[in-house]
Amino acid sequence: MTPFKFSIAENPSAAIGLLQKNNSAAFLAGGTNILDLMKEHVTNPTEIIDLGRLQLNTIKPTTSGISLGALAKNTETANHPIIRKDYPLLSKAILAGASAQIRNMASNGGNLLQRTRCSYFYDIAMPCNKRVPGSGCAAMEGFNRMHAIFGWSEKCVAVYPSDMAVALSALNASVKVMQQNGNERIIPFGDFHVLPKDHPEKDNSLNFGELITTIDLPKNNFAGHAAYVKVRDRNSYAFALVSVAAGLDLQGNTINQAQIAMGGVAHKPWRALNAEAFLKGKQATKVNFTKAAELEMSAAKPLSHNQFKIEMGKQTLINALEMALKG
Amino acid sequence: MKDTKKIIGQGIDRIDGIMKITGKASYATDYPAKNMAYAVLFKSTIAAGKITRINTAEAEKLPGVIKIITHENAPKLNVKGGLRGGALLQGPEITFHGQHIGMVVAETFEQATAAAHLVQVKYQQDQAEKIDFEKLAKNPEMPKGKELADLVRGAGKAALVNAEVKIEQEYETPIEHHHPMEPHATVAVWEGENLILYNGSQIINGAQTAAAATLNLKPEQVRIISPYIGGGFGSKGGQWANLVLTAVAAKMTSRPVKLALTRQQMFNSVGLRQRNIQKISLGATKDGILTTLAHEIISHTAVDSEYIEPCGDCSKVMYEVPNSLISYRVVPMNIILPTYTRGPGKSTGSFALESAMDELAHQLKMDPIALRIKNEPKKDPSNGKPWSSRTTVKCLEEGAKAFGWEKRKSTPGTNFSGDDLIGYGVACGTYPARQRESSAAIKLSRKSRLVYAVVEIAASDLGTGTNTILAQTAADGLGIPVAQITIKLGDSDLPPAAGSVGSVGASSFANAVNDACNKITDELIAKSGKQFFVRPTASDLMNSENIAAFETQSTSKAPVEAEQYSAHSFNANFAEVSINKNTGMVKVTRFLAVTGAGKILNPKTARSQIIGGNIWGIGMALTEESVIDPRYGNFATRSFADYHVPANLDVGQLDAMFINEVDLIPNKMGVKGIGEVGIVGVAAAIANAVFNAIGKRIRSLPITPDKLLPS
Repeated sequence: MTPFKFSIAENPSAAIGLLQKNNSAAFLAGGTNILDLMKEHVTNPTEIIDLGRLQLNTIKPTTSGISLGALAKNTETANHPIIRKDYPLLSKAILAGASAQIRNMASNGGNLLQRTRCSYFYDIAMPCNKRVPGSGCAAMEGFNRMHAIFGWSEKCVAVYPSDMAVALSALNASVKVMQQNGNERIIPFGDFHVLPKDHPEKDNSLNFGELITTIDLPKNNFAGHAAYVKVRDRNSYAFALVSVAAGLDLQGNTINQAQIAMGGVAHKPWRALNAEAFLKGKQATKVNFTKAAELEMSAAKPLSHNQFKIEMGKQTLINALEMALKG
Repeated sequence: MKDTKKIIGQGIDRIDGIMKITGKASYATDYPAKNMAYAVLFKSTIAAGKITRINTAEAEKLPGVIKIITHENAPKLNVKGGLRGGALLQGPEITFHGQHIGMVVAETFEQATAAAHLVQVKYQQDQAEKIDFEKLAKNPEMPKGKELADLVRGAGKAALVNAEVKIEQEYETPIEHHHPMEPHATVAVWEGENLILYNGSQIINGAQTAAAATLNLKPEQVRIISPYIGGGFGSKGGQWANLVLTAVAAKMTSRPVKLALTRQQMFNSVGLRQRNIQKISLGATKDGILTTLAHEIISHTAVDSEYIEPCGDCSKVMYEVPNSLISYRVVPMNIILPTYTRGPGKSTGSFALESAMDELAHQLKMDPIALRIKNEPKKDPSNGKPWSSRTTVKCLEEGAKAFGWEKRKSTPGTNFSGDDLIGYGVACGTYPARQRESSAAIKLSRKSRLVYAVVEIAASDLGTGTNTILAQTAADGLGIPVAQITIKLGDSDLPPAAGSVGSVGASSFANAVNDACNKITDELIAKSGKQFFVRPTASDLMNSENIAAFETQSTSKAPVEAEQYSAHSFNANFAEVSINKNTGMVKVTRFLAVTGAGKILNPKTARSQIIGGNIWGIGMALTEESVIDPRYGNFATRSFADYHVPANLDVGQLDAMFINEVDLIPNKMGVKGIGEVGIVGVAAAIANAVFNAIGKRIRSLPITPDKLLPS
């Protein structure tokens, strides 16, 4: 870790103000990822702006759904009675991630901003376009078992690690941010995280100086038919090989709308739009689930060590849809 | 005294348990020293070649930096002093990625860390670097070690052609890391020409002599203090460069210095379990009598030093078979020297052998337990010596009963429970039982008719409960309660002893303490000048003879007769797994290890040690793997986010049973050791259970969900 200045922000605009003064400063919320990044010299902010005093930790119902404070803890969010009742998909996804200790510290906003766990990103002796733009991608020809099968570019094959965000994607969340000028901006969840393309150093569409204030969830019709399935190398505290968040809005056995997102397969939560489109108006049957899964996975482009994710993705999609159907 | 009154054999609580959980037990870095400075190592980012330039100018400018030490200014050390793995800053040569190339000493750990990051290094890379195991393993070399020469019995592998039934398969195990909870750390304090090293050491006297020889000192100039160790699993058996480099930093700065490896540095500083490719060929008759067993092993080692774990050891002794071959081939590589790692050779070797036995049983349509019992050797097939005792069959039979083996479905993939497939697996293991020379001193004192004892021995307690079993031994040997006994160990100033390695700790230390107790009792009897019909205890004599203080010391070694026998601990492992048919995720829902290890000194700490071995075995079977990038030679798995040790959810119900046996041949107390055997056979039992659950044989560890996808 390199020495840094520690500043405390009293409110959101003060936090943004501090950041404006120092473009190599960084916000600190739960600290469960940025401290690792600093210890590994992956990021070397000269100033840390502590957000701990910001009043952004409430979880409250709104007319259109529910609003999650950016600084509300993952644990609080997962265990909130309304979340458990009306958004069980989110609760399940959060609880499938990290460990109890980390979830107790991690904030909702910070969860969205956590960085890839690609080990080449963390090893500063290795080339990595995300860490040092233009230095190359060590994972492309390297050990890429954990890496992307959708949406990767020649510049970066990393995956985005969050479980929570996979559910948020399926739930059509939106991210509310405060801009430098104090105005609000609402970013639909699908636009929040970005694909690597030519700029893998950019994980998301936040502009410099913007601060997440809330994550907003619209009401949904599938609380009774939602599932989060995560396949991983051990039963807890491991990132997803593949995960699927699935919600089914059913009328009898007919699917009005399926909302499906995948984790562990791309640089962002991967909304399975092809599968969703196929399932719309169809009967909720294993045959249809299988067809939808095959359709979605047919666009996958595996790397040298992660061919298995195609079959695993298919099986997990089918499994999640079946579990969602069962309720 | 009746056995029921004996403290030995009772599952008493650890005598240091409260100290540990309240933080009062001092581990290496807990030792305070006035004016401490902090050293942080920096490491090479190439695997082979040499350093052409080290620029420390930027680093030196940082506040708090006291000294930067590299091969350019490090003192000359004796590289053959007995440390493992090189990396002593003796020259510009680089032989593995992550080799120590220098250290920063600063006023704080944070300052040293920040400065280490600013050191700029230029290299000349050796294009002939050896870092691609898969490529190199195609042309392996003969090992240098004589004990690794080809071992042929009968017609060797050639007999396979005539076998009625054959199994020929290759089994792969990856690099694993020890990762004890306490990373390696040292505090070095010079007092004139004498050096104190606070350092977790499995072999106290070994650490002392290696440190002294490397620093060109006499052993008596170096004192190792290591009363508590947060695990080692072999990585703290031999000592590594970090121990002596701490002393070098302390000398060069004239300050006490603390050097603690980070978890990330643990991957390339203190050894590893090497990757192995093992080919097993089994020949048998149609009714399951083994006729041939060939075990051919390819392992890697370092380019400048050889260590090969003996994967063929179990195959030497487990089964009666007239024709056999054990062979080792080696691939020198530019990676850190492999080293002793829990159940060295036996844990990995048994995965291959016991998987192959399961494959044979399946092919023969025999129960795997029956196949093993059918091939039980009457004497040690490797040397013809009689067994001091052999408990394999008992372990299998008692285990089968306790585990409910009869519920196993012999046809794989037929035992369903909702979305899960259930499987049962069994595998055996063994580890030699040995006693090593050790000395112990007893110091008795008496206060108001209560006799107190201090037991001194340069033993080590890895966290396994050595302190406790020695207190129990002394309690019985002296006739005083455990509460009146103080155990002093972990200090090279104490009477010399063997190490906590290779399952020799309990037998060597307990026999030494027991002998010292007998000796002090004999001496007190002699001192009394009286004759006794019933042998009094040392405690009785201190009181009856009104003695205020008395002490003695003695040295113990293995009985000479032990040489004429083959003495081993044995086990049978039973695993029940549950595999989600949709995700391929495996859970070990139940695991039972039945162990025959002679006298169990403390069933409670013994159970902990066995289930600890089982848990690493679960990791070995299902989750643990260190991956080297064959282009750079670095670890692509470099933290606990990548290197998966089992979490609580991966570990189901664990049970440990011990065979009640008395085997006084290997040593007078009949203690055989349990440290290593606890992991032997575990991975195979789980892999065999996986096969039983889904009918898919996984011959490459770890068994991750991708390997269980429908093919």
